[in-house]
Amino acid sequence: MPLRDQIRIIVVDDMSTSRGLITQALDGFGVRQVETAPDGPSALAKIARWPVHLVISDMNMPGMNGLQLLHALRSGAATRGVGFLLITGRADRQIVDTGKRLGMNNFLAKPFQPADLRGAIEAVVGRL
Amino acid sequence: MAEIRASFFIECEELLEALQDGLQTMLDGTHDGETVNTVFRAVHSIKGGAGAFGLDDLVSFAHSFETALDALRAGTLALGDAALKTFFQGADVLSDLVREARDGTAHDPAGSGPVLAALDMLIGAAAVDGRADDAMDFQPAMIALDLDLGDDATAAEHLYRIRFRPAAMLYASGNEPLHLLRALRELGPVRTRCIEDDLPPLDALDPEQACLAWDIELAAAAGEADIREVFEFVDGLCDLEIHEDESMPAATPPPDLTALTPPAAPEQTTGAGPAMSATPTTPRATVRVDLDRIDRLVNLVGEIVINQAMLSQSVEAAGLPPNSPVRSGLEEFLQLTRDIQDSVMMIRAQPVKSLFQRMSRIVREASAAIGKEVRLHTEGEATEIDKTVIERLADPLTHMIRNAVDHGLEQAEARSAAGKPREGDIFLSAFHRSGRVVIELRDDGAGIDRDKVFRKAVERGLIEAEARLSDGEIDNLLFLPGFSTADAISALSGRGVGMDVVRTAIQALGGRISIASERGQGTTFTISLPLTLAVLDGMVITVAGETLVVPLSAIHETLAVTQAELRAFGPATQLIALRERFVPLLDLGAELGYRTPLDDYAGSAVLVIGREDGSTAALAVDTIEDQRQVVIKGLQDSYGRVPGIAAATILGDGQIALILDPLDLISTATGRTRPAAALVPAMTGTAL
Repeated sequence: MPLRDQIRIIVVDDMSTSRGLITQALDGFGVRQVETAPDGPSALAKIARWPVHLVISDMNMPGMNGLQLLHALRSGAATRGVGFLLITGRADRQIVDTGKRLGMNNFLAKPFQPADLRGAIEAVVGRL
Repeated sequence: MAEIRASFFIECEELLEALQDGLQTMLDGTHDGETVNTVFRAVHSIKGGAGAFGLDDLVSFAHSFETALDALRAGTLALGDAALKTFFQGADVLSDLVREARDGTAHDPAGSGPVLAALDMLIGAAAVDGRADDAMDFQPAMIALDLDLGDDATAAEHLYRIRFRPAAMLYASGNEPLHLLRALRELGPVRTRCIEDDLPPLDALDPEQACLAWDIELAAAAGEADIREVFEFVDGLCDLEIHEDESMPAATPPPDLTALTPPAAPEQTTGAGPAMSATPTTPRATVRVDLDRIDRLVNLVGEIVINQAMLSQSVEAAGLPPNSPVRSGLEEFLQLTRDIQDSVMMIRAQPVKSLFQRMSRIVREASAAIGKEVRLHTEGEATEIDKTVIERLADPLTHMIRNAVDHGLEQAEARSAAGKPREGDIFLSAFHRSGRVVIELRDDGAGIDRDKVFRKAVERGLIEAEARLSDGEIDNLLFLPGFSTADAISALSGRGVGMDVVRTAIQALGGRISIASERGQGTTFTISLPLTLAVLDGMVITVAGETLVVPLSAIHETLAVTQAELRAFGPATQLIALRERFVPLLDLGAELGYRTPLDDYAGSAVLVIGREDGSTAALAVDTIEDQRQVVIKGLQDSYGRVPGIAAATILGDGQIALILDPLDLISTATGRTRPAAALVPAMTGTAL
C-alpha cells in the first residue's frame, strides 16, 4: 500500500479558507485520512483521540500559535515523535530558528502551490 | 474551488471587521500586544488567503500593511497619530481591494497609491527589512513512520469480531440492519462481510424468513457495552456475538494521549511570537447559512401564523366553552408560534456594527475632504436589526453623516470661539425601545439656524413669509423636497439629495425619523425602525365591502368625521377641518376604484396620514375593524406594481387583504386631481 493511503494528517489553521485549500491539495495527492482543527487546543484534543503522523499547522493563530502547538506536541509522550510542518506567512528567520530548536520537521512559506506542499510533506515522511 | 473562494471573501469580511475593531481599540488608547497582534493577524490572514487565489493587488498591499504592523508589533515603530491614521486608511483600502477582488472589478491605484506610500514611509521609518531572508539554513527533518500505524486498527485499543444474525422478527418489526452497521461505523473503522451461506435458491426462498448474517471487524476505542448499545433496540431480535481479539494490540500507545495538555508555560517559546493571552477569547460558534434558506423559513413561519389565526377563528366559531382544553391548547400554540416567529426573525437579525464601521469610514473621509477635525463615537453596536434594514440604511445614514460633518459641525475656529473643543464630536448610537430599534445621530455642532431655514423656505415658496411656525415645525422643513441650506453646494453633501430622500428611504423601511436641535448645542436625528420587514403592525379597515390593511406607522390619528368638520373645496374636493388646519379628504374606496365618490362623508371613519413633506391628508373609509400584526406577502412577483398597494396578507378568516401604501396612494391621487394637498403646508399656522 502506498504511503498516501496510510498516512494520517491533521491540518491546523484558524482560517477555514486555508484549511479548505490544504485539505483539497492533500485530497489531490490521494491522501484521504485528513482531519482539520481551527486552533491549537482543539488540534491537541483531536490528536489525542485520533493519533496522526503529521501535523500541518499555520503559524499565526489566535491563542496558541503554530510554534506553541509544536512545543505542546513535543512535550506530550504520545505525540513527541509526530511530524510537524509549519506554514508561515513569510520565511522569518526568527520563526524558523525557534522552530528548529523545538524540533520542527519542515516549514513552508505562503503563498505556495500544491506541488510545494507535496514537496514539503515528502521531505518529512517520504514519497507519498 | 469556487466555494473555497467564496468562503474566503466571507472570512475576509470578518477579518476586516476585526481589523477595524482593533484599530478602534488602539485609537481609544489601548495598544497592548494582543490588540496589535489581532490587527496584524487580520491583515496577515487576508494576505495569506489572497496569495492562494493569486490576488496580486491585494497581496502586495496587504504585504506593506502587514510589514508596517509587524514593525509596530516588534516595537521598532511607535504608534503616533499619523501612524494610526495611516492604518485606518490602510484598512479602508484593504477593504476596497477585497471587494474589488470579490467582484472582479479592476483596481484603481489612485486610491491606494498615497496610502501605500504612507505605509512604506512608516516601514522606512522603522528601518525594517520587509523582505524575507530566502537563504534560510533549514534542513527538513525526516520522521521514521511506523507504517503499521497505517492499518485501520491503528488508533484503536481494541479489535472486535462481531457476528450479527438478524431474526425474521427484526425485519418484521421494521428494523434495518444497514442502519445498525452504519451506527457501528461511527465507533471506528469496520470491515464487514455478509454471510449468505444460508441463502436458499430463489425458488425456495421464503421472503418472510431471515437468511443473512454479517461478520464485522471493528477497531474501536469503545468498550463492548458501547457496541451492545448499538443493538439495544433489536435485543432479542437477533443473535449477537462479540469477541475481543486480544492477539491484535493497539499500535499506538494511548495512555498519555488523554493527559496531553497545552504547555502550562508558553514563555518557554519566547521568540516564537507573543505569549498566549491570559484569557484567550473563544469565538462564539456560528453556522453560515444561505440567506434563501432563512427566507424560506421566515416565509413558512408566516404561513404558520396565518394558519394559526385561521384555526383560532374556527375554534371561536365552533362555540366551545371558555375552559375547553382546545382553547387552552390553542392559547399555548399561539404563544409558541409567537416565540418561533421571534426566533426566526432573530436569525435574520444582525448587529448594526458593520453599518457603524462603514460610517466611521465616511466620517474619516468626509472630515478629511473639508478639513474639519471630527471624531465619531459609537454606542450599542451589538444592537440587532434585520439584515435587509441594515443594508438599506447605509445610504440614508451616509447622507446624514455627511450632512452632520458638513453642515452640523462648525469650523474649528468657530468652535474655539464658542468655547468648544476644536475637534467636533458625532455620536451614533443604536438601542431598542418599545419593540423597535432606534438609531440616533447626534452632533455637538451649532444646531439648526432656524431663521436661516425659515428664510430659505420662504424663498423657495415652501411657506408664506407671514407664517408663524413652532421650532419643531421649522426643523421639520428640512425634510421638504429640494430643501437645502448650504449657501454654496459643497462637494461633500450638497448633491441635490436632500433630507426628504432620507426620510422617504426610512419610511420605506417602515421607519420614522425625527429631528431635535438646540442652538449652539447640536442637532439630534432619531430614526425608529421596526425589528423586521416580514411582519407589519397594521390597521384593518373596510371600505366598499373590501377589507384592507393600512400600516400603522403611516397613520397619525383616526377619527369619525362630522358634518361640521367637512368643507367643500371646488366641485370635487373635500377638506376636513382638523385642529385649525384643513386637510384634504380622499375617498379610499373611490381612489381604488371600488366605488364612485359619495355625496356625503359625514359619519365616515377617517385615517389621517402624515406625508413625506410634513403635510397631512385624510382617507375616508367605512369602518375600522381591528389593529393587528400581519404577515407581509409580496405581490410584485406575480402581479407587478400596483400604485397605492404595497403587498398583501392573509387574515385570520382566510381572507386575502391588500396592504395599502397610503403615501403612494395619496401622491398618485393628489397628482392626478388638484393641488389642494400641496396647498396645505402653505396654510400651516395661518389663522383660520
